[in-house]
Amino acid sequence: MPIDAIVTHGLTKAYGKLIAVDHVDMKVAAGGVFGLLGPNGAGKTTIIKLLTGLSDITEGTASVAGFDVQAEPMRVKQNIGWVAAEVILDDDLSAWENLWLQAKLQRLSDWKDRADDILKYFELGDRRKDKVGTYSTGMRKKLEIALALLHQPQVIFMDEPTIGLDANTRRMLWQLITGVNKEFHITVLLTSHYIEEADALCDQISIIDQGRFVASGTPSELKSRVKADFIEVETRMSVSEPKLRQIPGVSEVRSEGKAWILKVASAEETLPRVLETLKSDGITRINVERPSLESVFMDITGKRIDHPGPDVQDYRKFYANLRRARQ
Amino acid sequence: MSLATPDPAVALTAPAPAVAHRSSHVGQWSQFSGLYYRELIKTFRNPLVLAITVIQPFMWLAFFGSSFENVPGGISSLKPLLCGGNIGCLAHLTSYTQFLLPGVMATSMLSVGMFGAMSTIQDKRFGFMKRILITPTSKATVYLSKALGSATRGLVGIPVMLVAALAFGVQFQGDLLMWAGWLLGLAFLGFGFSALFLAVTASSTDWQTPGVIANFITMPLMFASGALFPSTNYPTWMQYIADYNPVGYAAVLGRDVVVYGTIDWTYLGYLALFAGLMVLIGTTIAAKYLKVE
Repeated sequence: MPIDAIVTHGLTKAYGKLIAVDHVDMKVAAGGVFGLLGPNGAGKTTIIKLLTGLSDITEGTASVAGFDVQAEPMRVKQNIGWVAAEVILDDDLSAWENLWLQAKLQRLSDWKDRADDILKYFELGDRRKDKVGTYSTGMRKKLEIALALLHQPQVIFMDEPTIGLDANTRRMLWQLITGVNKEFHITVLLTSHYIEEADALCDQISIIDQGRFVASGTPSELKSRVKADFIEVETRMSVSEPKLRQIPGVSEVRSEGKAWILKVASAEETLPRVLETLKSDGITRINVERPSLESVFMDITGKRIDHPGPDVQDYRKFYANLRRARQ
Repeated sequence: MSLATPDPAVALTAPAPAVAHRSSHVGQWSQFSGLYYRELIKTFRNPLVLAITVIQPFMWLAFFGSSFENVPGGISSLKPLLCGGNIGCLAHLTSYTQFLLPGVMATSMLSVGMFGAMSTIQDKRFGFMKRILITPTSKATVYLSKALGSATRGLVGIPVMLVAALAFGVQFQGDLLMWAGWLLGLAFLGFGFSALFLAVTASSTDWQTPGVIANFITMPLMFASGALFPSTNYPTWMQYIADYNPVGYAAVLGRDVVVYGTIDWTYLGYLALFAGLMVLIGTTIAAKYLKVE
């Protein structure tokens, strides 16, 4: 196994004039959990598609598990696993048949014992003969991870693996992801727009926005970059920017939709002043953001991570543009 | 759903180290056989699809065959129309169903590609195509497995039609070798049209596309083939189409065997050429244009 499981230089993907991934350089150490954190439409899934050979690279180079993605895509595919955002299984087949098909696709001859062990590990052994269409969401996610592990890959790509799941199932998956990394010694590249998920699971994180890496480091390194708190406030009446700027302790003011985001040295000291200044404007919502990955993202990009950019606010328009660009 | 921690007692081995291979070629037989078998499983596990696949050709014989069988004067009045001056035909033809059977069997191969195209579009829309192509499986392998899968599905109706024809009182001619040649010709025809269909829909993700194409190609190729009536009675422009229409070659190949007990092997060669050409063109198109989603 190479020291770096994934290496890219100037990785770029363009759909016509639309740049989905913009000259990304990354190194993912073998054996770690690497997180790509960013809002919807930032380019996380596109990076996975490029690294797994599902999409052609427009510019730059990438290697995964020691193999060049463009020169040796089949070798890359022999050494990677994949867990999709939406659970993708053949519902007409049983769990065992899905594993059988995965073994055929990965050209495994001696797979049954391992499949048996994996099903036991994921507590699916008793339901192996049942059609996958009858499984719960959690069971389906487990089986998807089982498929990704069957051929003993070097790297597993997990694309928003907990999106749309309830809190309990999400925590269960966190356990499994940690287990896959620690017990199976597999490098995990995980994309997420859940701050707490990236914080809890990843050794290294790159924050991505509009196709570009805007910050990288360990979660604690990233959090230490921001030596400020953020106060997010919404009012019933219209408030002018100069009025907010003159509040003592406020170093920066940005607008995000109907809300204002104030960068302050200390939320404890500044919050009472903000409340006093805006008491006649009818505060409808106020939120304090301590140094966190969210505040890192806000500090760099000026918006919240779960706030879609102007180009993705209207999803139909965004995808229509994307389709046009691809044609 | 259980939320228990995964069973630590089950020890799994660490991943094998990646080994640098000199060649980047990866064999495709295992992937092809797996995907082909998946197509079969999905067909045979769907009772409704299976029932309709089997019943439809039977209905063709029952409705179309019977409607002509009972014309005034019976087969004797039809013989001049169906046989022209063909002495063998005049001597051996005993019913319109006997004449029709090889044509219906050839025509039934026309739309088999629709199943493969639908299955491919389903895989694209539900994301399963990504699951396949994220493994060392080439697009050409996916394409070939789908094409052969749908051709196989089309062949399922053949024995049923033969049994149905027996029930309708059809008398068969020909020896085992001739029959093998005819059935092989049908397989080539099904594989060829399946390959053509999948190539045309390789970049499509629209459910409606396969049905529209099936409707578009079935009608002209069926009527301009000699499958239902002898092509000698066609206008010149239709005869021109019939001269190159593989459905007509399969129909005549089968009719020679079933009605006269002879076989023209060049027809089988033509059908093999058609299948080979379609697969070659289709594989090239699929390798480039088969969409992942």
